[in-house]
Amino acid sequence: MSSISELYDVCWEEMRDKLRKWREENYRNSEQIVDVGEELINEHASKLGDDVWIIYEQVMIAALDCSRDDLAWSCLQELKRQFPDSHRVKRLAGMRLEALERYEDANKLYDSILQDDPTNTVTRKRKISILQAQGKSSEAIRELNEYLEQFVGDQEAWHELSELYINEHDYAKAAFCLEELMMTNPHNHLYCEQYAEVKYTQGGLENLELARKYFAQALKLNNRNMRALFGLYMSASHIAASPKVSAKVKKDNVKYAAWATSQISRAYQVRGTQECTLGVFPVRLEDSCHTLLMEPPLL
Amino acid sequence: MLEDDSGVTKKRTLPLSSLSVSFRSHEMGEVELSCLAYAKMYLHASQFPRCSVNGLLLSSSPAGGAVCITDCVPLLHTHLSLAPITQLALTQVDAWCSQTHQRIMGYYQANACVSDSSPTPCALKIAEKIFEQCNNAVLLMIDGEKMFPGCRVPPIVMYERKDARWALKDKHTIMLRQWEETCSIVNQLFSSGDQALLVDFDSHLDDITKDWTNQKLNAKIMELVSPANGNV
Repeated sequence: MSSISELYDVCWEEMRDKLRKWREENYRNSEQIVDVGEELINEHASKLGDDVWIIYEQVMIAALDCSRDDLAWSCLQELKRQFPDSHRVKRLAGMRLEALERYEDANKLYDSILQDDPTNTVTRKRKISILQAQGKSSEAIRELNEYLEQFVGDQEAWHELSELYINEHDYAKAAFCLEELMMTNPHNHLYCEQYAEVKYTQGGLENLELARKYFAQALKLNNRNMRALFGLYMSASHIAASPKVSAKVKKDNVKYAAWATSQISRAYQVRGTQECTLGVFPVRLEDSCHTLLMEPPLL
Repeated sequence: MLEDDSGVTKKRTLPLSSLSVSFRSHEMGEVELSCLAYAKMYLHASQFPRCSVNGLLLSSSPAGGAVCITDCVPLLHTHLSLAPITQLALTQVDAWCSQTHQRIMGYYQANACVSDSSPTPCALKIAEKIFEQCNNAVLLMIDGEKMFPGCRVPPIVMYERKDARWALKDKHTIMLRQWEETCSIVNQLFSSGDQALLVDFDSHLDDITKDWTNQKLNAKIMELVSPANGNV
């Protein structure tokens, strides 16, 4: 079994830099991190200087993600030895317990951290993750709402909450979370596009018009967002087909839909390898699929 | 009038010679799951272990005959319950099916929460819609807890429409021909790294040069399928 350095012809410095890039950009490519990190730790730990500790942490979390408890344990031991009273290391021990599904033990550990330091946000979020892992969505939602009352600027938490609401089909509350995110991140095309998708799902003429506007906004921010382009086409087409709109609104939306179609065809011609079956769309509007998804969402 | 073993009277609709085979499978509602369909579903669930994933089950056999799931199209790994992309994917797959003489006859889903393999409202909704077009539609849930190497049973739970609801299908009516061979093919895909070839509709939208019909992966899988057994 050849090593990473042999397989990819890289030196240890490049491996260390790759790990840093993945850390800074918050990638969750755990299998790769384990492969690269394990070799780096085993062969080159002495050369890493103080970086070694953050690498131990990164590799440990990736190891938990890949069910490599052996590796996670040895990383944790190194960290415990170096930082015996650290809350951060304690939290990592808790994560290992979570990976082993020993949720009660993990919660005890987290509670002891929070007793010492009630503002430890990472630990509070770990407790919410446990609720999610246990399938206790309503409790997770409740706890996350309480958390956000105190830590109202936590973007990650707002996004997590929007995901939870989407899973529970509570689209109105999901939309509220995404509105918070759009306010604080006006240039993020993904939030606009997700908000539009939620509005589209809620259905009804007003929501469809909002959806169309936000798909358009997402495209303004990133004109390569294919979901936004398709979303714009679909919402404009549905509005144009609605019997409740005026002739002018119908005409405008037919224009928007046509523009979207041309952009989509162009994108596929330029970058795609597959024939886009968009041509069937106008026929499909009367399809049963359309009526399904225009109904109010279940529960 | 004919009487079958259970003493229930049945009207004779088939020639006597074919009775022993086709009557039986119609009565028992057998569904065959091909190696190709199984392998791609399994790969899809494995590619996104932290997400719920879903997809459509396809059949290239004629309607009204024996029910065989010959292929599948992996759809989403994000926001399964949001409408726009689901609607888009359904219409695109439908159009592709008419071009390739296939039909959508089922839906599969693997939940992010491994311990819960029961169908979600979204799964039931989509399956319902498919049932409207195809009266022997099936709903397939992947049981994450059984997806470990060496597991001796297929990690799937199938539902069929009975008395206006989705009922669990009798395990014995789900046919997976050459189960050992199918498992070995899946393992080979993992060891060769070819499992990374799988593209779902979500990934296609992130990069439209990726092929959601998975022609390349299909070819690799068919290569591995034993030539002695043409319709696995």
